[in-house]
Amino acid sequence: MMKKRLTNGFYRLGFILISVVVGLPLYYLVVTTFKTPEEAALSPLGLPSSLNFTNYQRALEAMNYGNALKNNLIITVSAVILLVVFASMAAYVISRSQSKLFKTMYNIFLVGLIIPFQIAIVPLYQIISGLNLMNTHLGVILVSVFCINLPLSIFLLRGFISTVPVELEEAAFLDGCGTFKTFWLIIFPLLKPIISTVVILNALAIWNDFLTPLLFLQSPDKAVLLQEVYKNVGPFSTNWTSFFPMLVLSVLPLVVFYIIMQKRVIEGVVAGSVKG
Amino acid sequence: MYGKKRERVFLLMILPAFVGFFILFIVPTLMSFFYSMTNWSVYNANLRFVGLDNYRQLFTDTKTIASITNTVKYAVLITVFQNIIAILLAVFLSKKMKGANFTKSLVFLPAVLSILVTGFLFQYIMSSADYGLFNRIIQFFGGQPVNWLGDANIALYSVLITQVWQWSGWSMVIYIANLKSIDSALYEAADIDGAGSIRKFFTVTLPLLYPAVSFNILMSLIGGMKVFDVIFAMTKGGPGYATETIMTTMIREGFNSGRNAYASALAVIFFIVVFVLSRIVIIFLNRWERKIS
Repeated sequence: MMKKRLTNGFYRLGFILISVVVGLPLYYLVVTTFKTPEEAALSPLGLPSSLNFTNYQRALEAMNYGNALKNNLIITVSAVILLVVFASMAAYVISRSQSKLFKTMYNIFLVGLIIPFQIAIVPLYQIISGLNLMNTHLGVILVSVFCINLPLSIFLLRGFISTVPVELEEAAFLDGCGTFKTFWLIIFPLLKPIISTVVILNALAIWNDFLTPLLFLQSPDKAVLLQEVYKNVGPFSTNWTSFFPMLVLSVLPLVVFYIIMQKRVIEGVVAGSVKG
Repeated sequence: MYGKKRERVFLLMILPAFVGFFILFIVPTLMSFFYSMTNWSVYNANLRFVGLDNYRQLFTDTKTIASITNTVKYAVLITVFQNIIAILLAVFLSKKMKGANFTKSLVFLPAVLSILVTGFLFQYIMSSADYGLFNRIIQFFGGQPVNWLGDANIALYSVLITQVWQWSGWSMVIYIANLKSIDSALYEAADIDGAGSIRKFFTVTLPLLYPAVSFNILMSLIGGMKVFDVIFAMTKGGPGYATETIMTTMIREGFNSGRNAYASALAVIFFIVVFVLSRIVIIFLNRWERKIS
C-alpha cells in the first residue's frame, strides 16, 4: 500500500517535470505576446498584467496575415488533394497489376524514399523556371507533390491496398463496371483509414515547409506565413514582444488542428511508421 | 479474366504520378550528377566538362569539409538523444494513471510547430543578451550564463537541443504504439523469473521494440542529415562555420553565390553520405534483429 502510493507519487512528479520542460518554452512564447518590452524584461515568466492584444494587431498587419493564410491554405489543400488522387491511383495499379512495367515504375518511385529530394533542388530551380512556374503557387504545389511527398504516399497506400480483398472488384467487373469506375466507386471508399494518414502526414509537412516557398515564391503577395515571419525577423529583432505574436499566429492554425484532431494526428503518425 | 483494356486503363491511372515524379525528381536528380562534373555557374556562359574538379575543390575547402562533418555529427547525435529520450518517455508515460494522457499530448505538441518558428523562439530563449530566458534561469539559480549560440564549441549542441525538444514526442508516440502490442504475459513470465524492472526492460521491452527502434532511428538519422530550417533561423551557420551543414552550404553556393556546379557536387556527396550512413545503420540493425530473434 505504502509502496504503491510512493510509486504513484513518483509518476505524478515525473509527469509534472516532463510537462514543465516541454511546456515552458511554449508558455514563455504565449505570455510574452501580451506584454510590453519593459514588462517582458522585468518578469519574463510572470503572467501578463493585462490581456493586451495590441501586439497581435500590429503583427496581423505586419504579416499581411489574411493573405498569407490564404496562400498557405491554397498550397496545402491543393497539394494534399493532388497527392491523394495521384498516389492512390498509382498505388492501386501497382498492387493489382502483374505487369513488369508497373513494377519497374514502383521501384523508381521507391528511389525517392531513399534519396533525399534536396539533392535535386539546384537543377529543379531551372526546370521550374523553364516551365514558367517560377513565382507561382502551382510551381510550389507541383514540387511539394511530385518531388517531395509522392513516394511515401504511394508506399503507404500500396501497403494498405494489398490487404483489400480482390473479390469485390471481380464482382464489379463481372457486373460490367470499368476499371476506373471500380477503383473510385468501390476501392477508394475502403481506403479511408490510410487516406486519413496520408492527408495528415502531408498536410503537416507541406504547411510547415519553408524551403520550397523560399526558393520558388518571390513576390510578397504570394508569400506563405513562414515567409512573412522570416521577412519580419530583421526589422523586429530588438522588439521581441512584437515579434512573438507572429510566431504564435503562424503556428496557430496547425495547433488548433492538432487540438481538435489529436487522436487522428497521432494515429496517422503511427500508421505512417509501419514498414513494408 | 481481365483483358488488355484493363492494362491500358492502368497505364492512364499511373501515368500522371509517374510523369510528374520523373520530371520533377528523377530528371533534376540526374542533372545534379551531370552538372557536378561541369563548370556551370551564373558567371559562365559556356558549359564545359571539367571532370572531378568540383569534387577536388570541395575537399580542399575547409568550410565545406566542416559542413559535412557537422552534418554527420548532428545526425548521429540527434538519432541517439531523440531515441533514448523518446523510449524513456514512452515507457514512463505508458503507465495508466491520471495525467499520463495529457502529458503525452503535450510532449507531442512541438512536432506540429514549424521548425523555423521553433528556431526563432529558441534564438530568443538562448540569447546571451539580457532577455535570454535560459541564462536568466541559470543566473537565478546562481550559475554562470552560457553563450549558447555565440560560442563555436557549443552552438551546434544548442541547436540540437531545440530539435530534440521538438521531435522526441513524434518518436515517442511510435514507441508507445509498439509498446501496446507487447503481450503482457511476457512480463508476467519475467516476474515469475524474478526479474527486476531494469532487467525486464532490457530482456523483454527493448527487443520487442525492434520495429519502432529501427524505423525511428532511420528517420531521425535521415532527417538529421537534412537539417536546414533550424540553422537558418538560429545561427545562419555561424559563429564562423561552427553550425554550417551540408544543406546550408548547398543553398548558399547554389542560390546565393550562383556556383551551381559546386552545389551539385555537394548534392552528390550529400547523397553518398546519406546512403553510406544509413547502410551502416541498417547493417547494425539487422545484426541486432538476428540476435534477438
